[in-house]
Amino acid sequence: MGVAANSQDQIHVDILFEAREACYKIYANSQLSLARDAFYTCIKKQSNKKPTEIASVGLLYPADCKKTRAEYEKHCRSTWVKHFDRQYCAKKRVQRLLDDKDNRKGPLKLPQPYTFKEC
Amino acid sequence: MATLISRKASSLRRLRRSFFFSTLTHSRSSMTAPSPSPLLNHLFRPASHPRPSSILSQLDNYLCQGLGTQWLILNQKHLYSTTNTTTGVNSSGAQGQSGDGDKLGDSKQTGDAGNSIRGGPVSWLSFILLVITGTCLIYYYDLLKKQRIEEINANTQTVKHGPSVGKAAIGGPFSLINHDGKPVTEKDFMGKWTLIYFGFTHCPDICPDELIKLAAAIDKIKKKAGLEVVPLFISVDPERDTVEQVREYVKEFHPNLIGLTGDVEEIRKTARAFRVYFMKTEEEDSDYLVDHSIVMYLMSPEWEFVKFFGKNNDVDSLTDGVINEIKRYK
Repeated sequence: MGVAANSQDQIHVDILFEAREACYKIYANSQLSLARDAFYTCIKKQSNKKPTEIASVGLLYPADCKKTRAEYEKHCRSTWVKHFDRQYCAKKRVQRLLDDKDNRKGPLKLPQPYTFKEC
Repeated sequence: MATLISRKASSLRRLRRSFFFSTLTHSRSSMTAPSPSPLLNHLFRPASHPRPSSILSQLDNYLCQGLGTQWLILNQKHLYSTTNTTTGVNSSGAQGQSGDGDKLGDSKQTGDAGNSIRGGPVSWLSFILLVITGTCLIYYYDLLKKQRIEEINANTQTVKHGPSVGKAAIGGPFSLINHDGKPVTEKDFMGKWTLIYFGFTHCPDICPDELIKLAAAIDKIKKKAGLEVVPLFISVDPERDTVEQVREYVKEFHPNLIGLTGDVEEIRKTARAFRVYFMKTEEEDSDYLVDHSIVMYLMSPEWEFVKFFGKNNDVDSLTDGVINEIKRYK
């Protein structure tokens, strides 16, 4: 009935409140800039530009958002970054299904051999 | 039976033939019956064929005729039913003298009545009775069926609140360690209402949001209804969530929030008792996330499961739901 033995007996601080807030948003020079949220708003704003950079799990983003991406990845755990990217892709897919009025109507495509699926 | 009748019929046919023959040739007019005597003599005294002419023979003839007519009457009845040769018998009856004629006539009438009853198995009366019984049965069955359907409808439409068909087998005893390092069991939480949430500290966004919601709901319930509900956080990642970790995590949300962790095996048993799914999703560089069901369980002071709340409930619906359940339980 003992506690699970942990090799490192230190507390992971990067999941506590301040770290979470830092991941979601950071205060830099008393100016609120949202790290995670900043990155995603940047992508949304630049949706007309062609995505060239690779994020993770198939998410692509335009080169203009590179800076926010760097900030974002600095302040959040890598698993969390992947998790949020996956969530964003799912949201985008659903949005595409809902908005799609004229573009993708036509005969169904047969399943293709594996290609890099852009999210 | 049929062979017997047919044998009798054939013998009687012979009798009749002999009747005609004898009436034509014979003239024993003093006697009432003409002469079944010769054949009857044959039948009753087969040994002596020649006709006797003594008084004794006359007496014998009387007897024979008496017996014979009776026998004939009985057989005529049978004849009527099986062979329907009324005309032959009629003529033979006519041939016979008046007394016998009456007897034969009577027998003929009863025979006629017997004929109409025994003409066939189905009569108009039986048919009408059958139709009446049939319709009565069908109507009765239909009535019973309608009543049954109404009963079923009434039962399904009444909304059943609460455990009407037994209680859900969710929840059970556990023995874990709280965030102060003290081992606790479910008995420590009996006597108060509890709201349990399963999660883990390394959760990116869902667990923090849910725990914030839980804390806000606890405060709102206290404010709205003055009811005390104990929030409980049970970790599904016991390998990484040590007691200190849980303590640091939990104290940021609500002062009353109690965090539980413990042995891997104990956590697994507790999660199974509450039907909570949790699975490590493998990531690289020793960091991983735990996929788990996002449910809050409301437990009564007797440690019995009352209701669960999913991710779709916001703070207000959670508050109202809990207050309603507590009020209804009392």
